[in-house]
Amino acid sequence: MRRGVGLTLLAAALSVVVSSCGNGVIDKSTDGVPPAEATGTLRVLLPSFPPSTKGKEAFQKVVDDFHKTYPKMKVEPDFATYKNLNEKMSTSIAAGIPYDVMVTGVGWVQPFASKNIFEDLGKYGVTPDVIKEKSTPALIPAVTYDKKLYAYPLIADARAVALRKSAFREAGLDPSKPPKSLAELKVAAEKLTKRDKDGNVTRSGFDLASATGFRQSFTTFLASTGTPLYVGGEPNFDNKAGLDTLLWIKSMINNVQPYGQTNAAQQPLVLTGEAAMGIVNGGVDCSADGIGQKNCDDLEFFRFDSGKQIEYVGGDLASIGSRSRHKDAAWGFIQTLTKPTTLDAIAKLNKKIPAYKDASNSPQAKSNPLSQFVADGLVYAVNENEVPANWLEMRGNFDIQLTQAVLGQKDPAKVLHNLAGQSR
Amino acid sequence: MSTTLERPALGTPRKVSASKDSRTLLKSQIRTGWALLAPALLHSGIFIVIPVIAVLVLSLTNYSFGDTWAWVGFGNYADLFRDVDFQASLWHTVLYAIVVIPISMAISLAVAIGLNQKIRGLSFFRTAFYIPTVTATVAVATIWLWIYNPGSGLANGFLSLFGFAPNRWLADPATALPSLMVVGIWQGLGTKVIIYLAALQGVSRDLLESSEIDGANRWQKFANVTWPAIGPVQFFVLITSIVGTFQVFDLVYVMTQGGPGSETRVLVMDIYQNAFQDLKLGYASAETVIMMIVIAVFIGVGRLLQKADAND
Repeated sequence: MRRGVGLTLLAAALSVVVSSCGNGVIDKSTDGVPPAEATGTLRVLLPSFPPSTKGKEAFQKVVDDFHKTYPKMKVEPDFATYKNLNEKMSTSIAAGIPYDVMVTGVGWVQPFASKNIFEDLGKYGVTPDVIKEKSTPALIPAVTYDKKLYAYPLIADARAVALRKSAFREAGLDPSKPPKSLAELKVAAEKLTKRDKDGNVTRSGFDLASATGFRQSFTTFLASTGTPLYVGGEPNFDNKAGLDTLLWIKSMINNVQPYGQTNAAQQPLVLTGEAAMGIVNGGVDCSADGIGQKNCDDLEFFRFDSGKQIEYVGGDLASIGSRSRHKDAAWGFIQTLTKPTTLDAIAKLNKKIPAYKDASNSPQAKSNPLSQFVADGLVYAVNENEVPANWLEMRGNFDIQLTQAVLGQKDPAKVLHNLAGQSR
Repeated sequence: MSTTLERPALGTPRKVSASKDSRTLLKSQIRTGWALLAPALLHSGIFIVIPVIAVLVLSLTNYSFGDTWAWVGFGNYADLFRDVDFQASLWHTVLYAIVVIPISMAISLAVAIGLNQKIRGLSFFRTAFYIPTVTATVAVATIWLWIYNPGSGLANGFLSLFGFAPNRWLADPATALPSLMVVGIWQGLGTKVIIYLAALQGVSRDLLESSEIDGANRWQKFANVTWPAIGPVQFFVLITSIVGTFQVFDLVYVMTQGGPGSETRVLVMDIYQNAFQDLKLGYASAETVIMMIVIAVFIGVGRLLQKADAND
């Protein structure tokens, strides 16, 4: 009897603890509640604002703006990076307190939408036509899963190619006629590569920007031959174009660039002069605080064209968590995030392009020649395209297996065949 | 006057009372024992038993943080044995353990023997050897990243003095894992040295003096007196080293991320990748179960070796 009482007490105590913990963390749903009356905590996960003072100040402005509509909602930000985005999301789901707003990148939407972690934005009026009219049409495939839209673009992370005019002239090449096809690039890169007396590369001829893996560079070079990586979720690289591209990368690594080359500042090597030519992100700081005007003047930008002119474009994409208890408020927050002034601020912080119509005339595009160049080139946008549902797994597989092929550890044809088989 | 000592007329109740007291005492002791054990049992139940059961159950599902999941039986285990990344990770982990454990134990013992002598600056050396252990692995890894930097690193700078060509330590598939092993050995020395030192100081002076009187040389004293005396400590160091090396993660995460390719991918890294990057929690749980089994096998082998050594 006494034991029974003891157990009952223990069970009661446990349930009190559990329920009190639950009440403390999980809010009541505010969906359908007038914005002015909605109370609770909106949890926001985003890699768009760096956790610096400037980043936090910019985010606070968004929160202040959001509070004009939702004055009683508390906003709890989690300034993630793309590196720890998945673990933040998975642990939040496992802990039972998923984020309300999640900002991810190209390749994230389909896997999370297929797991029913993201909410269909169709119910908030987001359609392909809306994106075409107000945002970056090139990012429509990246936010689409099963013909529904699950994210809204914030900024476009566009990449171009840059060359050093002085290095070109020194090597007897004409900087006004940049090499664009894979074959031309290789010839020029070999001429531009500098070595010491022992044969070690002292200045790379071409920076493939693939220190941690070749997934994005393979996607980019393959797309420049007119071959998207995936079509409708089906692999489109286990073919001659794919093999030629991989073999081309293999012929470049440890020839015109040592494998794994990077610098401490994680800057594109062509901007620091460690490479004569190479892939660059979507912005450059030409001021004295950045690389300086003289360095900037020495740069020429161009796009890959091995049959199709292309520009690799990633981006920050905002979604609503399907388990959110504040979906309406989450959408309200995304609307605040996508105001042009906010997008300009995010673009400036990240040296990327705001994903609104006419990005070419944005303050960020006007601020430096590289941003202007990539903004003008958004019409040539490519990325992994319509990735399969297991893309999160495939990202790592691509990075590992392509590296093994490039370093000669595995047969390139078998690697591509294997990757195609793993895509599902 | 005579005095007679009579047996108490009611002797039996006294016996009963003594027996009852003894039982009460025993019960009280048992209750106290359980009370003292309770915190540890509660801790083990919550943080060991429940998670282990959860991992075993999850390993039989395809749970991936989504709304739906299904039982897949031993499907995850079958997939693991076809997974080349898992095979590579298992092999790298076993190789890491096989190289790091004996070398680090041997160096630690040698250092401990050195520190057990009456030499100058003993406190300084003891502190110096223990510093890597109390330093955060992320900081250690960052320092070693600089040491291994192909351009400006200490390793290439030092070797160039002897005419060696620069090496791309962590970027070269042939040297990446051995480079990590060196860091693993260096970082693990401190703890082992302290444990060995304590054991060496516990070796009977009488036995050592007796063997000296019997004419034993230094090696004979070590082999016949010191080595058997530190046997239990050897086993403890071995077990903790096996567990530690099989759980290596932070070093690899900071220094190579498992690369180049998958040349330094280890089991915990693969589990982390599957669970938190690829969101395959069921699959990662099956991998964790396999890791537990492998660690158990290694500990079993260590135990057998220890027994054989003791019998010798």
